[in-house]
Amino acid sequence: MSIIEINNVARRFGSVVALDGVSLNVERGERLVIIGPSGSGKSTLLRTINGLEPLDDGEIIIDGVHLDRNHRQIHEIRLEVGMVFQQFNLFPHLTVKRNIVLPQTVVRRRSEAEAGEKAMMLLAKVGLTDKAESYPGELSGGQQQRVAIARALGMDPKVMLFDEATSALDPEMIGEVLGVMKQLASEGMTMLVVTHEIGFAREVADRVAFIDGGKIVEIGPPAQIFDHPGQLRTAEFLAKVL
Amino acid sequence: MELITGQIELLGRIFLYLLPALPATIYVTVLSFLLSLVLGLAVGMAEISPRKWLSLPAKIYVDTFRGIPLLVLIFFFYFGLGTILNLERMAAGIIAIGVCYAAYQAEIFRSGIEAISHGQYEAALSLGMTRGQVMRHVILPQSIRIVLPPTANEFIACLKDSSLVSIIGLREITRAGREFYSQYFVDFQTWFVVGLVYLIMTLTLSRLVVRLEKRFAIVGYGKKP
Ligand SMILES: Nc1ncnc2c1ncn2[C@@H]1O[C@H](COP(=O)(O)OP(=O)(O)O)[C@@H](O)[C@H]1O
Ligand SMILES: [Mg+2]
Repeated sequence: MSIIEINNVARRFGSVVALDGVSLNVERGERLVIIGPSGSGKSTLLRTINGLEPLDDGEIIIDGVHLDRNHRQIHEIRLEVGMVFQQFNLFPHLTVKRNIVLPQTVVRRRSEAEAGEKAMMLLAKVGLTDKAESYPGELSGGQQQRVAIARALGMDPKVMLFDEATSALDPEMIGEVLGVMKQLASEGMTMLVVTHEIGFAREVADRVAFIDGGKIVEIGPPAQIFDHPGQLRTAEFLAKVL
Repeated sequence: MELITGQIELLGRIFLYLLPALPATIYVTVLSFLLSLVLGLAVGMAEISPRKWLSLPAKIYVDTFRGIPLLVLIFFFYFGLGTILNLERMAAGIIAIGVCYAAYQAEIFRSGIEAISHGQYEAALSLGMTRGQVMRHVILPQSIRIVLPPTANEFIACLKDSSLVSIIGLREITRAGREFYSQYFVDFQTWFVVGLVYLIMTLTLSRLVVRLEKRFAIVGYGKKP
């Protein structure tokens, strides 16, 4: 059974059709990279998967939990799905460690000690043990994004969504964040990654999906999509970004 | 020499005359300000509600009470509504100031909540927090820091504006000053001391505010990431 089943999902903003009947299955442990021009619906797709964006039509099933128009199981879905944003969105009034501890204690109801231990373990994993007591405002963009990844991992998600996690970073910091994402991939995490980093996609992705106009135009292994795209629109897009 | 000591003694006498009226000033200020906080929070939250039947009345409230002079409101609540509802001077004065200040306070609360980026709100939701938990753990702790300095300034303004209730005969320090003056006809000295008493209180408060601001500052906050 696929861990994510997306069936005919639609989302409209007034007259703008952001998602136009998207269907997609993602397998457990799969790394799916999503590419496409600006405004094609990539963010909207990720946002519907953890219920930040309601569905106008269709349904999403994550590990057996249904998310439909009524959004009844939204909380269960969010427990399973972690998300990393372009703008990091750390809580600036809390230290790095507290950022990772707070959701664990509030949502997962872990004790301070247990959550703290987990936070330190995750900080070690993203290489920021020495920043535990710093505030987000004292960190570089790359460091903040690594904390944001650790914070999401603290909830033990089954799926991780990355929405242009490196797009707001200075070039010299992109590598450190991609490094953490690659490590996560090697540990078998199911990942949906919206990115413009074609090198990362080639190295890590099991499949690449090209989205345009709210539709999946083409989906397949990276070698196929990047080297032998079957659709003209895919080829045109790649010609621009490569 | 005798002239100077005489003057100092007079100032002291005025001060002692005002002193019994000081609790009334503090009472009016504190109670009307508390009212403005509670009412202002409700109105401010209503203003940002997506529900029109909440946000529209809230906006009308703010526009209305910011557009009427406080003195007129005091007259209205004491002579107008007060006569109908049998309000005492104290109650009418407190309600008038509270209702007026709530309009300003609502705007302060509204901007304090809106200042927190929507991204943080979404990040917290995506971590599985409920709306209430996001408010409590993410939005409000930051909003309080943003809201604190302007709110403290409102409190100082409220203390000064409490002198307006002297006009409906409430015996706070401004009223006491008028009484002293009408007995002894020393206008310069009387109003000098009344002003000084207000000044001591407002200066003390504003120094306190500066300390609080430093204490609550967030490290690295406001820096571009
Ligand atoms: N909250 C919103 N309100 C109105 N239009 C939106 C909103 N979010 C996205 N859109 C529109 O939906 C389309 C897809 O947006 P998005 O998913 O952000 O694209 P991408 O992430 O691929 O750049 C765009 O045309 C965008 O303008
Ligand atoms: Mg986007």
